[in-house]
Amino acid sequence: MLFRGFNLGIEFAGGTVSELRIPAAAGAVGEGALRSAMEGAGYEGTVVTRIGTPEERDFSVSLKRSQAEERDLSVNVESLLNQALGTEVEVRRVESIGPRVGSELRTAAAQALLISWGCILLYIWFRFDLRYAPGAVAALIHDVLITAGVFVLLGWEFNLQVLAALLVVIGYSLNDTIVIYDRIRENLEVRGTTHLEDVVNQSINQTLSRTLLTSLTTLIVVVAMVALGGPVLRGFAVALLIGVVIGTYSTIYVASALLIFLERRYGSVTAAR
Amino acid sequence: MSQRARALWIAAVVLLTGWAATSSLVGREARENSWLLSDQALNLGLDLRGGIHWLLHIDEPTAFSRELKHFEGILTDAAEDEGVELAGTQLRDDRVLELEGDLGALLELIEDRVGSSVDVERAGDRLELRLSGGTRDEVLERSVSQALEVLERRVNRLGVTEPVLAAQGAGRILVQMPGGEIDPAGARAILENTTFLEFKKVLAAADNEELLRARYPEGLPEATVVVFSRTPEGDPIEALLVPAEPVLTGDMLQDARVGFDRRNRPEIDFTWNAAGTAIFREFTSENVGERMAAIIDGEVVTAPVIQDRIGRQGRITGSFTQEEAGQVAISLRSGALPIPLQIEEERSVGPALGADSVVKGVRSIALGGTIVILFMLLYYSLSGLFANVALIVNLVVIIGLMSLAGATLTLPGIAGLVLTVGMAVDANVIIFERIREELRRDKSIRNAVAVGFSRSRLTILDANITTLIAAVVLLYFGRGPVQGFGVTLAVGIVSSVFCALTVTRLLVDLTVARGVRALRI
Repeated sequence: MLFRGFNLGIEFAGGTVSELRIPAAAGAVGEGALRSAMEGAGYEGTVVTRIGTPEERDFSVSLKRSQAEERDLSVNVESLLNQALGTEVEVRRVESIGPRVGSELRTAAAQALLISWGCILLYIWFRFDLRYAPGAVAALIHDVLITAGVFVLLGWEFNLQVLAALLVVIGYSLNDTIVIYDRIRENLEVRGTTHLEDVVNQSINQTLSRTLLTSLTTLIVVVAMVALGGPVLRGFAVALLIGVVIGTYSTIYVASALLIFLERRYGSVTAAR
Repeated sequence: MSQRARALWIAAVVLLTGWAATSSLVGREARENSWLLSDQALNLGLDLRGGIHWLLHIDEPTAFSRELKHFEGILTDAAEDEGVELAGTQLRDDRVLELEGDLGALLELIEDRVGSSVDVERAGDRLELRLSGGTRDEVLERSVSQALEVLERRVNRLGVTEPVLAAQGAGRILVQMPGGEIDPAGARAILENTTFLEFKKVLAAADNEELLRARYPEGLPEATVVVFSRTPEGDPIEALLVPAEPVLTGDMLQDARVGFDRRNRPEIDFTWNAAGTAIFREFTSENVGERMAAIIDGEVVTAPVIQDRIGRQGRITGSFTQEEAGQVAISLRSGALPIPLQIEEERSVGPALGADSVVKGVRSIALGGTIVILFMLLYYSLSGLFANVALIVNLVVIIGLMSLAGATLTLPGIAGLVLTVGMAVDANVIIFERIREELRRDKSIRNAVAVGFSRSRLTILDANITTLIAAVVLLYFGRGPVQGFGVTLAVGIVSSVFCALTVTRLLVDLTVARGVRALRI
């Protein structure tokens, strides 16, 4: 993650992306042909990817560039490719973001993540006990880092939708954590804190079927979204898919383990409220 | 609450939201033709219905340097009038105006004529003028209102339905044009300066066109046209006969702004460039007492009487309010100056892709929903059916609430709906698992259900409030379509908690009340 860095989407980096449909009349056209057409016109570093099925003949052409050059780019992409392919391409979607908005969105994204972490920490502190909070937050930082890490490692584009997915993963992972914490608290009231590990273990077991069932139903719809949702939503759906899987196991292995660790280190967990 | 009261309360919610949701789903025409359905409906975002979204910003260097040039003109004229030595002026980096000459006298002149609009600094043998913070804000604000005026006219001419044009903070303008049939390249033309401002001599004037034509029984003279001045509402006030060819055109006008005369009455001050000055001086000297009309795209902006021979600078006086004077000045400026606008953000979606997205979204909801429903049925049998009823009620409530609020559904918003289907059963799962557990402890059905629901309630609330926090954060920090995701997610969470705690509860309670031996859960 440190070495490769994010492949920031144009929302964060600034640039332009066009989604094109190549008419059948143009014959067999691949990513390479489009890329060399763009590079031939002086747009080095154009990223061309096929989206959807080969029959649909859809491509996304994205360029990260400065605002000055980008101003007429969405028009250029169309006319450039029209010329290169000798046919009329259909522009289905254009998105351009200037560098100023790009950096504003980067700041807003970082703020959004930090603020949601902060709010959640406060909420758990208020509802449970301060000692529960680090485990929950550690679990969700873990989830976010791993999900984001997969995007970095595979070089997938990190855009606003992926960020939205990360925020959902945060909420989702926490959802699991809280259900277990709730049970731990309830069992502590009954059994006392002398056998904390047993209590935690028992609570995890009692809620395990629920944790797995909910993850399963969520995974069902997320997979449906990956399969049928179309290319625009793909990044979002894939980030969710990873996040939900990671979130399920982190609840069990990270959050509760940290609770026990903190208890051993700093004394008793109170069964507050 | 008794079961009957709860049932009524749920029925009321479902009826209201169901009514709103149906109104949204049947489509615009059916909705407007039916007296029964609500006119308020869910808006489709531009990413679903197709359209163009721009965030424009005023090009600050251009706007600021233009303002400095204006002050340069004022000071040059004033120095000439008062005999103050001004050896040279120069604009540097679009934001500093340098003056050379008799610095002491110049300082006094600046204080007198320009006042607090600029910050003055002495740098060696010259003075450096920069726009003050207040002036910069004022320039941006003026540029935004000018740009809005021009854009509104052009967007309306394109025939866009329901366009959105709004100022967005410091120097920014939001433009949304729904309907994908406008191609982005064509739409960009409205950012170019195509407004045509002309100045023509008024040959004749009358209250309306008929009266005007009545004066020429043999028909209008050759090479003339009739133009109208209108109220802001568009009603004609006066018909004017003017020559086809203008005396001057907008490109010769350097500036126009609101000023005040000695009695502090508002007036419009305007300035010509060198070419305009020569023509205007000759024209006014020959036509004192005649009227001259300023015409933008065939509409008369103002048609004052020429009082005197005027050169580079002139003013239009009359009995108008400051606001009216401001309108005329903005119109004249918009006709004269290209708006220094840049596209900061552009999103355009063709109608085909938008429709595709809707279809794909609905398909993923259908597939995911079906599998989840089947799964719940298999796993929980009768209780699963209850959860499924709650799930469907949940979808109706979400769509209904969003319709009632007139919220906007975007593609990520649909994703939020899909996700809600998956997560909404969670509350039910928590409850059912708890009841099963209690049953295993040999509690009676009635007891197990009561304990199951009461123990689950707090857990469900705690767990969902954290997701709600994430959704609200998205609402505040998200931008564009992603904000729509925050909306559906937030509404979805509230509604699914409601459905699990009321709808499922009622159905389970009703079953238990009928005295079943074993709850199939």
